[in-house]
This record gives sequence, structure tokens and C-alpha cells, in this order.
Amino acid sequence: MEPAIRTEHLTKIYSQRLIAVNDMNLQVPCGSVFGLLGPNGAGKTTTLRLLLGLQRPTAGFAQVFGKSCGPNAVRVRSQIGYLPTNPKLPGNLRPIEYLDLLGRLSRLPGEVRKPRISALLRAVGLLGATDQRIQTFSTGMCTRLGIAASLVADPPLLLWDEPTAGLDPAARRFTLELIRELGKTKSVVVATHILSDIDQICDHLGVMHEGRMIFTGSMQDMKQRLARHDFTLELQGAAEDIRRLAHEVTGLEGINALANAGRMLLVKIADGRSRSRALAEVLKLIDESNLSLQAIHSGQNTTENAYLQLLQEDEAHGFHR
Amino acid sequence: MDSTVKTSKIGTRMMPYMAILKHDMKTLWRSRLVRLWLGATALLTLLLVGSNWANFMDGTLIALLLFPYLVFPWFFVVVVLGVTPVSGSQAETLADGILCRPVSRFEYLLASWSARVVLVLSVYLVVIIPAIILVILAKRTVPEDTVTVYGIITALGVVGLVLTFLVSLGFLAGTLLRKPLLAVVVLIFIWYPIGLILSIFSLEEFSPISLNRAISTQLRRSWQETDAEAKNNTKVHDTEVFSDQVSNFFSLLSGAPSKPKASKPDFFEGEKFDDLSLFRVSLGYGLPTIASVILASLCFYWRDL
Repeated sequence: MEPAIRTEHLTKIYSQRLIAVNDMNLQVPCGSVFGLLGPNGAGKTTTLRLLLGLQRPTAGFAQVFGKSCGPNAVRVRSQIGYLPTNPKLPGNLRPIEYLDLLGRLSRLPGEVRKPRISALLRAVGLLGATDQRIQTFSTGMCTRLGIAASLVADPPLLLWDEPTAGLDPAARRFTLELIRELGKTKSVVVATHILSDIDQICDHLGVMHEGRMIFTGSMQDMKQRLARHDFTLELQGAAEDIRRLAHEVTGLEGINALANAGRMLLVKIADGRSRSRALAEVLKLIDESNLSLQAIHSGQNTTENAYLQLLQEDEAHGFHR
Repeated sequence: MDSTVKTSKIGTRMMPYMAILKHDMKTLWRSRLVRLWLGATALLTLLLVGSNWANFMDGTLIALLLFPYLVFPWFFVVVVLGVTPVSGSQAETLADGILCRPVSRFEYLLASWSARVVLVLSVYLVVIIPAIILVILAKRTVPEDTVTVYGIITALGVVGLVLTFLVSLGFLAGTLLRKPLLAVVVLIFIWYPIGLILSIFSLEEFSPISLNRAISTQLRRSWQETDAEAKNNTKVHDTEVFSDQVSNFFSLLSGAPSKPKASKPDFFEGEKFDDLSLFRVSLGYGLPTIASVILASLCFYWRDL
């Protein structure tokens, strides 16, 4: 099956000075909810703008459903619904006028356009604000209108750039649920640096750092690949007992322990050592001590840990690259 | 049946162009600049007609009414209107709202340019046509003049063409320089001494001053008259009147009395263009207009948003 997005050696250098996207190879499977993750300035927005043809690549190419992207790639853009970060909307228009303009730009006939606009306004909860000018809208309302705008042409691919930026908790939940719902019928790319959003809605992930794509794959792949062989044990008891326990645990084969000030014990298990057996041995020592176990935290499935580890690895290997 | 299908196909194809054109015209019409301009141009026209009601013949008075559009001050407004569509903060709104949709950049530029041209020409014609009708039909105490319908249409066309060129020049400068203020300043520095610049290349007949001088003659031409014949029929009187027109215009703006006529030695005077060749003027302004739009499109096509 043809991927929704394919890039090969995609590179964007601004004014021969700033490398925004660096030799990016990416494939976004059709029908997936793809999270494009990266810190600020990683090149996420530039990547989306290259796909839309708003910017021209310095090298390499990008394709959407097999068609090349570029400034005049009208057919490509007809298949994309784009939501920019904090969208700049024409303040002098009202929501219906704005969506009608976008419907016309997408060459939608009146009989399709009109009912779709009212359905979208209802879906994003802006029916009560149809007589207001956009300049009076709050950030959340602008984002919701931007969401409706990206859906006017009912495109098979959605590119949403930080859709939850500046939203209150209720609007954020609404947006995430909408993405999950839309992901059932469309391919969705969500660029963000908010890890919890990615955790909740995405089934595939790409991690960008300093313009490079340092990881792509399914969410499961990422968590498995970066399985951290460590636990944090939350204990109750004297600090001296915790330090003693750390010493005893470190004495076990292939296990290292570190006590910190917050009555937590960080247990690291060496590669090749059975995690369950190691944990059983540690628990036995706790049972024999004067301490009581409050909680066990595993780092294995935390996307945040995996993400931070990826960034650290990428920085550490910078010279080898 | 076939033609209906064809029409609807063209309609669908043209839908984004028409949508942008309509949107831009609405936005421009709502702007204070356009409304102020419309009011100011109507007021100035009224003042010019009123103050020269009993002084000039029809042709001369109409030429005087066209002076503000060709020479000063409306070129400034026209240039500012041309500069804005793809420069400054507008570019970001554009990228977020319009150019990420299935619209080509050329389609957008063409629609945006058309909106500005249509608006500028509308404001100009809405004010000038009633004034011309009033001047021609009213019984005034000045001698009869031989202004023709053909002459009026072509004179209006020439001024319209210059205005279109100015919009296009603003459009090109805005696209190239990106910063609207910088583009306007650059254009003012180019347009003010344009007579001097054109005279360096022996193209003085295309300067707005020369065109305005030739308009009184053009207004009296019939459609059968060739350019060569018209040249022979040029009234010497018009040349003298032209300098009166200019001083009259500025004295009206400043409120100062007109200066007495001063005779200049012959060697001081440059070549006078009291007649214009429609063909040459159309090419002289039409080709640079087309070139400006094409250059702006190319420049915009290569630009990152």
C-alpha cells in the first residue's frame, strides 16, 4: 500500500545558514495517526510546510499519496487539511464567510459546501459564534475554527501543527478525542512537543532532533526498542535503612541501586539479567528490611523516558554522524 | 447540454480565482485607505470643477481633472494599494489561510492583482465620469469646444492604463522587497523623478506630465483621425494652457494665488509632447504592466512562505 507521505533525503537550508531539515527519510503509513515529535526548533513545522509546498526543499523530495509536493502542486494540497499553530485568520470575516471562502478555494460546489460548513461549525462547537467576527475570537475558538477549516474539503490527510497549543483542558481533551475519531478514517500527522498528546492518540511516531529524523516506527516499537531496565521503588522508612538497602542491592549480581533524598530507590538491571528474577530478589531484601514498599514505578513504557533517551543518544552520537 | 457542462467546468476551475478576487475586493473596500481616497478624490474633483468652471474650455478642464491621477497626489494611494498583498504580516495569513489550499500561487497573485486594478479603476471612474458629463453637458460661459466621445474614452483609457501600471509596479515592488514601507519609499523615489529618468532614455513622451499635456489634444480627436493628422492639428494654445492648469492645480491645493506667467528663453525648454500616439502609449505602459505581473509571479513562485 502506498504511504500517505514519503520523503527521501529531504533537506531544507535557510539562506545557506540554518539547517532546518536534514536529510530526512520518512514514510507515514496510510490510515495511521502519526506523531511528529521533537523539541522546539527541531524542524517539525518546516517539514509540514515543505509537504504543503509553502517552502521549497533545498535537496531531496517529498510525496503525498505518490504525488510530488511543490508550490504549484494543487492536487497534493487538495488532499491535505492543514492546521497551523495558532492559525492567523482573517479577522474581518465571520466563521461562515471564512469557511465558505475556503470551500470555494477547494472548488466545492454550493450544494456540498453549505451543509458541510454548518455540520463542521456544529462539530467544533462554534454554532453560537457565527455572527461574531473572527477578530473577537479567543485562542481556543481560533483553533477550533482552524480545525473546521482543515476539514472543509474532507481531505484524506490531515497535517495538524501543535493542535493543542494554548488550549484549556476541556478544549485540549476535545481536540485529542477528535483526532482519535478522525484517525479511524483518515491519515493524521500531529506535530507536537507535548508527549502526553502523542501517548494518547498516536499509533506511529517520528522523533526529530535538530532537523534530523532520529526515530520512526510504531509506538510499540519505540517503547520496546528503548525498554529501560530500571525501576524506581518508593519506600517508607528511615533514610539510613534505605541507604543500607541500596548497598545490599548493589551487592546482588547485575543490579545497581541508588538511593535519593526523596526516599526513592533507583534500581538498574544490567542487560541479559532476568528482570523478573532481579526484581524478586530486590523485593525479598525489602521484605527482610525495616522498610515498607509504597510503590513500584517502571520506566519501560514511558514515552517521555524513551524520547529523552533518544535525544541524549542523538547528541552523544553527534560527532559520529 | 454540452455548453452547460463546459460552463460549469470553467466555473469550477475559476472558483478559487473568483473567491480570492471577491474576498480581496471586499477587504479593500472595507479599508479606511480606500474610503478616504474615494472621499478625497470626489472632493478634489468637485473643487477643481468649481474653481475652473468659468476659466477653461471642456477639453482643458477635463485634462485638469485627470491631472491628480497622473501626476500628483493619487499615484501614492494607488502604489500603496498595489504593494500590500504578499508583503509584511499579510504573507503569514496568506500561507495559513489561502496558499495551503488547492490554489496555485499564480492564481492567487492574478486574483489579488485583478482585485486591486478593478478597485482602483472603479474609484477613478466613479468620480471622473460624472464630473466629465457635468462639464460637457452644462452651459458655461466659456467658448465651445470640440471634445469627442472617442477622445474622452481614449483619454480615460490612457489614464486607466497608467493607474494599472502603477498598481502593477507596486505589486512587483511589494513582492520583491517584502516590506511594504520600504517598497512604497522606493517607488516614491522612482516615480517622482520619472520624467527625468525617462528623458535620459529619450522616452519623455511617456512621462505622466507629457501624457497630461497631450490629453487635451487627445480629447478633441475623432476616431477616424490618424496619429500623424492629429499631430498637425495640435493646438498651440493647449501648450500654454497646460502650464496654467498645473499652476492652477497647485494653487488650489495650497490656497495661494496663481503665479503670473513668466516667459522662458527658448533654450531652457525641452521637447514638448502635445500629442500622444495611442499605440505607443499602450505598448509603453501595457508591456511593463504585463512584465511586472510576470516578474512578481516568478518572484513569488520562488519564495518560501
